[in-house]
Order: sequence, then structure tokens, then C-alpha cells
Amino acid sequence: MDHGGARPIWAFLTGPYALFLFVLLLVPFANIAMYSLHPYSPTKVFLPELTFDNYRKIFDLYYVRLFGRTLRLGLITTAVCAVLGYPLAYCLARARPRWQAVGLFLLIMPLMVSAVIRVFGWIVILGRKGLLNQALLGLGLEPVKLLYSETAVVIGLVNIFVPFMVLPIMASIERISPSLEEAAQNLGASWYRMFGRVILPLSLPGLISGCLLVYSLSISAFVTPALMGNSRERLVGQQIYDEVLVSFNWPGAASLSLTLVLVTAALMFGALFATRRAGRREKAS
Amino acid sequence: MPPSIELEVRALTKRYSPQVSVGPISFEVQEGEFFSLLGPSGCGKTTTLRCIAGFETLTEGSIRLHGERLDDKPPHRRDVGLVFQNYALFPHLTVFDNVAFGLRLRRLGKAEIGDRVSRVLQLVDLAGMATRFPAQLSGGQQQRVAIARSLVLEPRILMFDEPLSNLDFKLRIQMREELRNLQRRLGKTSIYVTHDQTEALALSDRIAVLSHGRIEQIGTPAEIYEHPASAFVAEFIGSSNMLRGRIVERSEAGTIVATATGLRLHCRPEPEGEVETAEVSILLRPERILVEAPGGRAMPGQNRVSARIADVTYLGEDLHLSLDLVGGERLRASVKNSNAARGWAPSQSVELVVDAADLRLLRR
Amino acid sequence: MRAQVPRPLLPFVVAVYFGLLAPLVVVIAVSFGPSAVFEFPPRGVTLHWFEAFFASSAFVTAFFRVSLVVALLAAALATVLGTSAALGLVRFRFFGREAVETFFLAPLLVPEILLGAALYLFYARLAIQASIWTLLCGHLVICTPYVIRSVTAGLVGLDPRLEEAAMSLGATRVQAFFKVTLPLLRSSLVSGAIFAFIISFSDINLALFLSGPQSTSLPVHIFSQIQWQGDPTIAAASSMQIVIIGLLILVVQRIFRLRLVV
Repeated sequence: MDHGGARPIWAFLTGPYALFLFVLLLVPFANIAMYSLHPYSPTKVFLPELTFDNYRKIFDLYYVRLFGRTLRLGLITTAVCAVLGYPLAYCLARARPRWQAVGLFLLIMPLMVSAVIRVFGWIVILGRKGLLNQALLGLGLEPVKLLYSETAVVIGLVNIFVPFMVLPIMASIERISPSLEEAAQNLGASWYRMFGRVILPLSLPGLISGCLLVYSLSISAFVTPALMGNSRERLVGQQIYDEVLVSFNWPGAASLSLTLVLVTAALMFGALFATRRAGRREKAS
Repeated sequence: MPPSIELEVRALTKRYSPQVSVGPISFEVQEGEFFSLLGPSGCGKTTTLRCIAGFETLTEGSIRLHGERLDDKPPHRRDVGLVFQNYALFPHLTVFDNVAFGLRLRRLGKAEIGDRVSRVLQLVDLAGMATRFPAQLSGGQQQRVAIARSLVLEPRILMFDEPLSNLDFKLRIQMREELRNLQRRLGKTSIYVTHDQTEALALSDRIAVLSHGRIEQIGTPAEIYEHPASAFVAEFIGSSNMLRGRIVERSEAGTIVATATGLRLHCRPEPEGEVETAEVSILLRPERILVEAPGGRAMPGQNRVSARIADVTYLGEDLHLSLDLVGGERLRASVKNSNAARGWAPSQSVELVVDAADLRLLRR
Repeated sequence: MRAQVPRPLLPFVVAVYFGLLAPLVVVIAVSFGPSAVFEFPPRGVTLHWFEAFFASSAFVTAFFRVSLVVALLAAALATVLGTSAALGLVRFRFFGREAVETFFLAPLLVPEILLGAALYLFYARLAIQASIWTLLCGHLVICTPYVIRSVTAGLVGLDPRLEEAAMSLGATRVQAFFKVTLPLLRSSLVSGAIFAFIISFSDINLALFLSGPQSTSLPVHIFSQIQWQGDPTIAAASSMQIVIIGLLILVVQRIFRLRLVV
């Protein structure tokens, strides 16, 4: 249907949401950009001059450590998600329809339940008098103090983000014909070698997509590190929350946010690019 | 020295559920033989193939390759090559890498791999294509890569899963001939699965006809066509006319069969016991019917039957005649397009001449 | 499953699932336990904490007067906004269409806490008080893209000639849309709406910034309770949310047989 002439109906249809997004997405971010260029003032929140100080302070040791820690934990989370998620993705992709439906339900359901609830569950498990320690004591072992540490944060993040790794990989593997697996085995490859030489290269786009997705979600996480980590070893998300709602350092929070947005946007576009390339490549098979 | 047995399948059974099962199936494939598993879809031929390749496990029975037990080995340790129906070429690898795949797994040296791959690509006539990707090849070329990929590993037997069904008609005939020449040249024991009886007849040294999970008959193409063991085989292979009758006389000179409509036909002398019951099906191939003008005399060992032409189908090379017998039966005859034959027209009265030797009696 | 899968694979996968679901199972179990200290396995079965939940005005307000209301409104409005946007994108060709489509899906690319912070600062600058409406607007930003994606997928699979056939039989464009296209889009609409509901109901990142004294959503209240060492009433609240959302996803999966794409 080709239109766009006298009565631009498309404008009436897409207009409302476009306007809505403009007001509630673009303008707030422009607002943030504007805040980031003003200096912070404890009494008036911000002063009318313009400055780049907020961006310069990101290179202070405190913030360098902050970003370093965030990026590092993001990397660890992504790596663990990949290792745990790949086999899951493979099994789901090759499962019979009924089992696949069950598996997908069990995978997606926790995603949709609020992150707070899952974190709460982990606190019950990992707390000082929690499940894990009860079990360890029952076995005659020493209790461990896992909660409120980086380890706990990684556990929580992995738990929440594994599905985001599994779904793109699963979609990728589903596009690989099972006859390729059988052909490889027929030519002498054990399952492991077949996986490394056939499945892995052909599902790489899905893996890249998943990794970029999980990574960008991890570095901008807040609830999990806030409840399962500690204030000293905080992540960028916690810092932003703190600066906005506690210390009211809105300019500082603004510059941090924009930096994070840029990093995340770059990653997400990378993921989009990878999946588009995958679509083109798979036309060959 | 008689050729040795390369593959022995004994009582192979695969039970999917109490109602659905394949087997027991037993057959032997000799060294250098081209052996086909032929049958309609669902007959069990693909299941048998996958059991030999190791992608299905046997519920019962055994498979032996050159005397050694095969069915207890995992699929990647069996010395059988499999050419898949959709070729299953690795899209992310070049033709060279596809063919070299199995060799690389065996950790052969680069030089040797290069050597073997180029030799086998020459063999299948793809010498210049080594650096192309599967997506850049035609269907026929892709299939040759699939064959080369299995051949280069020099397996004991090569198996084909309906390899020509994805090709268009003319290409199929061409590939069929190439396949046969290749196999004859290499002398490689081959097992071929197909539902196309023309393919099976053209390619095979021996054919096993399957139906509903069982083998109906094993034999050379001629044996299967000329002496089908059952009505199913008779009707699956080639075209057929089937009449119903009962044996009324048995002698050394021949057997006489009578139909319910009063037709009396002289057939070959059946050795005692070949057809036990008196109720039989009579098989008559359309091309064995001689159509003549009325008025001839029946020779000994010949049957002469009156008929009326119901319909003539002109097929260029042949003419197919639909004939109605006095008793109401409908027969089909296939005659070569000759000057005389072109004169036949519907509603003409004719006489059909059938040799006693061309009537085959089958169990009902 | 077909083909030879190595033997350690299946147990590994089951173990991963176990790890994924463990926190949820624990939460549900704790909500039925008798003691105030979190204990597992719980010693007995009791509905005490559920009673406490309904007795707590803070929890009840958060659940019924904030989260539920906002989620229902968000679902309805997102569906209307998103369907109209999707229609415009799929059925019409205009300059810059692909750019607009990317723009419409952009909220999916923005980290939620950043959106929350941005909206908070925006409202603050305009001196708008936090209320259910500010929260609703925030949720609409993140929910509508899901509706757009769902309806777009449904529209793409729909033959546009069906509408043309209706018009050739005398219907106007609008009539054809309401009588032919809309009913056929039913499953996309409902699944998009359910998705929007779930996203809004379980959102925490936006709500943390946009909640106010009268508009504290359930997840935010749970969050603050966890921080201030609440009791298993938290577990009861959580269990209810798990069950509701689980049922909704089941509905989408079974009745509409749709695969949820995140």
C-alpha cells in the first residue's frame, strides 16, 4: 500500500507514539546532557555556568576504579553466562517441541518476575543463616560468607541474565540443520569435535549477540548489586542512584549516565549488526 | 573366488512403539555390489540406513561389517560413508574444507590432505571448485561434493539416502549415470535408498523391496521385475495387470487358470509348491501383450483372448491401449508406435496374444 | 532429542535450570513457612504471612492501588499506542520509515535505571510530583516497544489482500480494518498486552526513581523491605507475584502458542 500524498495517514498512526517518545525519551536525555555540563552545587544542585568538570572527574581514581570494577564484573558475568547458557541453548534448540515449550517456560518465567524477588531468594540462600550455610553445617563443613560480596553480585547477575544469553544462541542453533551434525559424526567427529567445528562457528552470531546483550545489561544493573553487593565495592548503577536520589549530585549523575548510555548503545548496535550479518550468512545454508 | 560379504544385517528390528516398528530385516551385501533398498515412504528403508550409520539404535538384531560387529559402535567410529538427501554440506567451509573435514579429524599431514582432496575432486569432476562455498554451487555440484567428502575417507561401504530426489528430471538421469559409472570404476560397495523404482532398476546389482517394515523380496532387477514374489512387488515395480483366478489344472505341460468370468489361460508349468493355494493373482505386464486383428489362430503355449479397445493414449514412443475383455476385465497394453499400431482406435475389436511364459502366478 | 548427545550434557543442563529456579522455589517455600527467620525447608505450612500481607496497608496499597492499576492502564494504553504505531510502520511506506522504526524500539536499548534517572530529573525540572501518572508514563515508554514488536510480527504475517477483499465487497478502509484485520490480529494484540502488563507489574528500575509516597509499587516496597530486614511477608508478596506472572506467561504460551522473544 503506497501512500504519503494528500492524507498522510501514517502520520496520524505513528504520530502519537513518536510525540510521546520525543517528550519522554529524547527530552529527558537532552535534559541530562544539559545537567552534565553544569557544575554541581550542594546547595543549589547546579550552577548556571558551563563546564566539563563532570566528565573530567570520571578520570579520577574513584571513578576509574568504579568503571573498572563494573566492566570487570560485567565480563565475568558474561563469560559465566556463556559457559552455562550454551549447553542449555543447544539442548533447547534440539529438544522435542513439548520439552522445548517446558524448557522455554522455565527459562522465561524467572525473567518476567521482578528482579527483587529473585534477589530476595538468593539472600535467603546465601545469607549467614541461609540455606547454603545450613546445608554446609549439616555436612559438617564451615559456613561461608558469600553475601554482600562481588561473588554474590556475580551469582545474582548470572542468575538473572542467563536467559538473555540462551535465547539468541538457541535461535542461531535452530537454524543449523540437524543433518549437518549427523554428517559431521558420520565423517568421524565425536560430539564434542562436531560441536566445536560445526555448531560453534555457525552459531557464533547468536553467541556474539547474547554476549553483547548480557554485557550491556550487566554493566547497567542496579538492584542486584545494591542488594547483594556492598557499598564499598559498588557498581556504576549504584553510584548513579546514589548521586541522583541521595547526594543530589545531578550533574555528576548525568555525566555518568551519558557515559554509560554511550557504552551500552555501542554494544547494542554491535549485537544488532551481528544478528543482521547472521541472517545474511545463513541464507547460504 | 566368490565375492565376500561386506555387510550382514541380521534380524534388524527397530521398535518405535507397540504399533510402529521396522523389521525384522535381514540381508547381505557383497563386496563391490550396488545394493538398493527400495520401497514407498514409511517402509523402513531410511530407518535401516540410519541404523547402519548409527543414528538409530537397534531394538533387536545385529549388523556386521566384514565380520565385525558394527551396531555397538558410536556413529563417528563406523567405517561407513553417508551421502545425505540434502547433502548436508557445511555452509561455513569451502568445498576443499568440506572434503577435507574427515581427513583433518584424523590428523593427517597437510600435504597428504591436499593430495587426497584434489584427487577425489578430480574424480567427481569438480577440480576447479575447491575454493568455492556450497552456496555458490548448483544442486548437482553440491551433491558431488557430498560424495567426494565421504569417498575421500575410503570407507568400506558408501550409503546414499535418496540423493537424486532434490534434482530436476533431466539432471537426475544424468547424475544417475554418473553415479553408476563412478561406482563401477571404484568398485565401492554401495547401499542406495530410494522410492524411485526406475532408479533402483537402472543402478543396482541387487534390490531389496521393502513394505511396512519388512523385506518383500531381494533379487537382481531382472528377477524382481520378471519374477516378483508377491502382488506388492509386482505392482510397485513397473506397470502391471492383475487378474484373479484359480488353478484348475496342473500338469507337466503347464498350469491352467480360470477366472470367475470364464477365461481359461495357459500358464507356465509351476513347480509344485510354488503357489500352494488354488486361489491366485495372475500378473501380466502391459508390454507383453501382442495386439492383433481378430481371426488369428492360437499356437501351443499361447493364449488368444478377444477384447475391445476402450481408449488409446498416444505417448510418442509408445501407445497405451485400454482394453475391455468379454468378461468385463480391463487390461492395459503397451505397444510400440508402429504404422500398424497407429491404426488402433477405440471400440475396435481385437485379439490379444499372450505367451504362457508371460503369465506369472502369485499368491492371493 | 535426536543424535548422540554426550552423557554429561543433560545433567549439566538440569543443574543449570536448578540454579535458575532455586531462588523462586525458595521464596515460595519460605512464604508458607511458620518462622520469622528465613528457614528452608520450612517446618510447617501456614498462611500466616499471606494474612500479614493483606493486613499490611503498605503492601496492599502497593499491590492493588499502584502496581495493578498502573499495569492494567499501561497494558491498555501501550496496546493502543503500539498497535497504531505498528500499523503505520507496516502498512505504509514513507520517507525515513526504517529510522522511525529504530527510534520506536530505542527504549529497549536504553538501560532502565538510566531511563529512570532521566525521567526523574525531567520531572524534577518541571516540578511534577511523583504519582501514579508519572509512573505510568515511564512504564509506557518501556512497554510499548513490546506491543509494537508483537503487532508488527502479526501484521507482517497477515495478507493485506484480505482487507482489499473486504473493500471490494463494499467496506470502507476503517470498516475493513475493524472487521477483518483487527480480529486476525487478536493473538498479537493480546500477547502484546499481556507482555506490557508483565513488564509494568514487575518493573523495579524505573519505579525506584519514579515512586512517591502515594505511588510506591509492589517491587519497590519489597526492595525497601529487604533493605530494612523485613519478615517473610516479603516472601508472601513475592509468591503472589510469581504465581500471577507464571499464569500469564502460561496463557500466552499455551493459548496463543507464541514464543516469547525478548
